[in-house]
Amino acid sequence: MAIDMNVFRGFAEQIKMLPQMAKPTDCPENQRVQHAQSIFADRLDASNATHLESCVHCGLCAEACQFYIETEDPALTPIHKLDLLKRYYRREKSPMRWLHRLIEADITEADLEATQFLVYESCTECGRCGLVCPMGIDIASMVHITREGLAHAGLIPAGLRAVEQEQGSHGTVFGVGPEQLRQVADELRAKGHEVPIDKEKADILVLSSTIDILLFKDVLEATVKVMNHLGVDWTIHTCAFEGANFGLLSGYSRVQKLASERITKQAIALDAKLVIVPECGHAYPAMRWAGANAHGGPLPFEVMAISEFLGREVMEGRLQLSKIGAEKHVTYHDPCKIGRHGGVFDEPRAVLEALGVDLSEMPNNKAANFCCGGGAGLFVMEKAEPMRNAAFDLKRRQVEATGADSVVTACGSCRINLMAGAGRTQWATPIESLVELVGANLK
Amino acid sequence: MSISEFVDGPFWYFSAGVFVIGVLWRLIGMLAMGTKTDYSAPRASAASGAIGINITRFFPRRDFWSRIKLQVVAGYLFHVGLFALLFFAAPHIEFYRERVLGFGWPALPEWAFIVFAEIAFLGLLLLILHRMMHPVTRMISSRGDYIGSILLFLVMLTGCLALARSHESLRILHFFLAELLLLYFPFSALMHTFTFPFSRGFMGAHYGRRGVKV
Repeated sequence: MAIDMNVFRGFAEQIKMLPQMAKPTDCPENQRVQHAQSIFADRLDASNATHLESCVHCGLCAEACQFYIETEDPALTPIHKLDLLKRYYRREKSPMRWLHRLIEADITEADLEATQFLVYESCTECGRCGLVCPMGIDIASMVHITREGLAHAGLIPAGLRAVEQEQGSHGTVFGVGPEQLRQVADELRAKGHEVPIDKEKADILVLSSTIDILLFKDVLEATVKVMNHLGVDWTIHTCAFEGANFGLLSGYSRVQKLASERITKQAIALDAKLVIVPECGHAYPAMRWAGANAHGGPLPFEVMAISEFLGREVMEGRLQLSKIGAEKHVTYHDPCKIGRHGGVFDEPRAVLEALGVDLSEMPNNKAANFCCGGGAGLFVMEKAEPMRNAAFDLKRRQVEATGADSVVTACGSCRINLMAGAGRTQWATPIESLVELVGANLK
Repeated sequence: MSISEFVDGPFWYFSAGVFVIGVLWRLIGMLAMGTKTDYSAPRASAASGAIGINITRFFPRRDFWSRIKLQVVAGYLFHVGLFALLFFAAPHIEFYRERVLGFGWPALPEWAFIVFAEIAFLGLLLLILHRMMHPVTRMISSRGDYIGSILLFLVMLTGCLALARSHESLRILHFFLAELLLLYFPFSALMHTFTFPFSRGFMGAHYGRRGVKV
């Protein structure tokens, strides 16, 4: 399970170069406000309205936010990140808009620009703030609406924009396309694994991600081993293998739909009953929750995160694992988008139980887990580095409180962010993949 | 028409009318915006999530307790105290029976009224001080938040002063301030009194269908 740290460092360097690769946005400067407003108008519904109308400015959301907890900067208060959207709502959609138009100024381009840091570089949309709000305000969802507005106004941070543009125009992410997938498949075949690429029909379509193809190749290998071990009818497809969706991360709905529909159409063509999303946090909501809505109707197949799939196979007795033993002391980091936003808590823990490891939960775990700090695309945003570092410091304390020797997780982005933090602080605790643990202990 | 007659008569009907129409206007306006169909396959029940959160959210999660206990305790003191005063103080029940509902219910004894009034005052003062002193609440609070808090404080204060019923002018002042509060209510964050079950419900439904207990 060794990771080539030179490749890891190279990947980190590549991320730093992203802003220079971003092309100018196609939104004319004088139409930014108009574009953002049209998105806000389309997205705001009764749910958001009751949320925006219910805030009593108690500030409790700050006490749940990792970035506020670590920096104590009031500007990072989650509800404050919605000021722009709130103002739009009050003037244009609220039942009292006739009054607010008299007393509040309209939003300006400067307001949009001032909001960029708040909703992109200092929020991972982790949703932890929603757990503490006495009114039940879903701040994360509305941060995403704000991101969508800014994205359509051409204000996606350059690093994130570069990847979104690449995925939108070429269908690749970090230059990884069908050719790179085939190369990795050949490497795996050379190791003796059967890799069923581009089958015409299959029960299961397995997705991967650029991170696994470039960096965590062992995760892809473990996935192949597990699927073959289970003896299921599966394939990975060069036309639709990328689980990462930078349209979703950036808030640019055209690219989001393009990326998810590519997978949906391929799964339908395969007559697939199940699409398995790789260890990639946001890839799960992109297909599991947003995929059907992008498609415009229910999906004719099931969508599962790989950790969820493995857990189900273990719990239903189809997957037996060798016991690693309690001498391996681990803690599990729930990726926000799979756990808090996806409900996948029991399945990865069932896998760890089947592996017989000694699992110690962090002081805040499952739904109340702290984000790794790199979610929602923060790991490709240059200006987010202080935020990522702050989140890592908090996470490290949480891990150390368990006394565990390693952290297991089921998200490549979480692993990257935690590994980057570990490298920065000379922290020796390994960050491991759940799938890799399974792949190495098949019975 | 005397001030007393004005406050007890036309101004009461006006403020009550603005309150009722304003609250309904705002609630119906919000809910009429509707929601889009979610085509994703649910993992669990949205309805259970919506109902569940409306109960569980009264009890803060253990994960946050150490960081939020002051606001939670102050919030409970204020809201419990205010609820008791509003619905179980003898003069209020008499008012509801005579002017609004036509029936009444048993009232708190006077000593209990005083205890609840003290609890409510303590809670409200703590919340106002927290709003003014904590960097987060100081930054995110609006003028409206302070207006609402001060109006409530004055209504409660004059209500306590009027309790002895020795001065009619105090009762009129209390009633006038309460009417101002009714007028202000639909335009302010005080609306959370009516919106919170919906806000919680929408969040509970969203996460509930994903199988997450929030």
